[in-house]
Amino acid sequence: MRGRPERVEKRGEKIIYGLTILAILAAFIFPFTAPSGFWIRTFTFVFMFAVLAQGWNFIGGYNGYASFDNVTFFGLGAYVTAILMTRAHLDFFPSLIASGIFCALFASVIGPPLLRLKGHYFAVATLGVANAVQQIVAGWDALTGGGLGLNLPLSTDPNFYQLIYFTMLGVMIVGLLVTFFLARHKIGFGWIAIRENEDAARALGINTTLFKTIAFALTGLLVGLAGGAYAYYNTAITPESVFDIVYTVNPILIVILGGSGTVLGPIIGALIFQILSTYLQFQFPGLQGTFLGIGLILVIIFMPRGVLEYLTGRRVFGLTSLLQAPRENRA
Amino acid sequence: MSSNPTILETINLTKHFGGVTALNGVDLTLREGEILGVIGPNGAGKTTFINVVTGLDHPTSGQVKFRGETISHQPAYRLAHLGLARTFQVMKPFRHLTVLENVAVGAMFGAGGDKRSTGEAFDRAAEVLTRVGMQEKMNWSAQQLTIADLKRLELAKALAMEPKVLLLDEVMAGLHSGEIPIAMDLLREIHASGVTLLVVEHVMKAVLGLSDRIVVLHFGKKIADGAPNEIVQDPKVIAAYLGARYGKKTDDQRRTTEVPESSPPSSVHHPPS
Repeated sequence: MRGRPERVEKRGEKIIYGLTILAILAAFIFPFTAPSGFWIRTFTFVFMFAVLAQGWNFIGGYNGYASFDNVTFFGLGAYVTAILMTRAHLDFFPSLIASGIFCALFASVIGPPLLRLKGHYFAVATLGVANAVQQIVAGWDALTGGGLGLNLPLSTDPNFYQLIYFTMLGVMIVGLLVTFFLARHKIGFGWIAIRENEDAARALGINTTLFKTIAFALTGLLVGLAGGAYAYYNTAITPESVFDIVYTVNPILIVILGGSGTVLGPIIGALIFQILSTYLQFQFPGLQGTFLGIGLILVIIFMPRGVLEYLTGRRVFGLTSLLQAPRENRA
Repeated sequence: MSSNPTILETINLTKHFGGVTALNGVDLTLREGEILGVIGPNGAGKTTFINVVTGLDHPTSGQVKFRGETISHQPAYRLAHLGLARTFQVMKPFRHLTVLENVAVGAMFGAGGDKRSTGEAFDRAAEVLTRVGMQEKMNWSAQQLTIADLKRLELAKALAMEPKVLLLDEVMAGLHSGEIPIAMDLLREIHASGVTLLVVEHVMKAVLGLSDRIVVLHFGKKIADGAPNEIVQDPKVIAAYLGARYGKKTDDQRRTTEVPESSPPSSVHHPPS
């Protein structure tokens, strides 16, 4: 009995794989050919927001839990790197990895109690956690420097911006690969089942608490890594600068824009969102938020399942199966 | 049948929701290889009973035992791994997945799930869908299905889990009269393959036709437990659930052997308290 659906879209899949690999190669060459540091920094932020969106996509996109804790992991990641580099005098990369691990552990601790809540209750509880963590960080003067924040050691590396660029790019590629493989694994199907109907998922034998906590820990890992890299890039951090709500809101918008619960959605969304917002910032200084807001409302009304599905809908080009990760390619 | 070992047992099972007592000291045994019908009016506690037995809810007091092991406070997923599967009266499809994917989730995570790869789970799902007659709709999105097909999808998802005991919550509700015999045949075939069935159902023709034994719940209490032909003649069951029509029928049957002009119809609608 053959249950695996025929891979009719094989050619479309190959095109997408090819384009993705080409784009990644181009991203590796780009800093050496970029006309100015401005473009390197712009793309550094594209990758950073792609990572934040990939992180949120695990808990929000695949599991359907609207978490407002992205900013928590971002801020904690930034502070862990800053503290380790200033107080323990560790190098950047060990500190960065510690940021990711710390945030993943933090997510696994707060995950089980938080993820018992559903819908608005979960969202509000994560907002509460975000506020509490920010207050603790701001109040713990001895460790975090309180409201004044911390100044990280300045890098003497002449290619400092390239270093951060490649760090963000590397984390994004890790995020892409993790999403790609897990979406094809049983765990990806388990996540989607939880999103679609959690009671049915439990009755079918899915350990929902464990699955959701794994997703949340992955969110913490990726977002914490991005936060750590951001702290080093910015060299000075304060509670207000890293616990900024944009690190929660923008990634959610990016995921919705690109396609929620898809492998490539966060990256495509971040590309469109960041480049558009950078452009608008220069063309219409002060008004970019208004334009972005209007644009997003239109996206949500006219393409609620994201730009990707809108442009490549199964009926038109037959590529949705690839982008809608768990629907295809089951090995 | 009655000599078979007990596979599932509830002892004094009680569930309160705030001030509402949904289950009130229910003792019930299910023997291996049996088809047990569970009937009762709306709000009798039938769905709560299934929820509590399958771990989706936990009892306020009392016990559930599966093959002698107490399972009352275990999480639902672990009971699914032990071999308990259920369907939902209010169907719970994964709407944005295809029919095949819906069933594959059951094959991946149910009792036989650990030994299967994702691909094997899809093969298993296709087999089950063929068995329930939905092979042509495998690649449909679940949201395109009719009520009858959604019921069948519920059944297919549960079957893909390779259950030992299958608890069916009104799988026939909403089917038209032509579909009911087909559904009954399917359930008989599932039963013949070695699955013990607990069938909650309002369609009397089906319950009477399928069940080896019937239990009647009323306001959370078990008011009767016996062979189908005993149940339909039990005055308590007639009063609480079957109502005048079945009552008349048994009266008519009685009239052929006895004489009395029995039970005034007004008493028929009053449940015993």
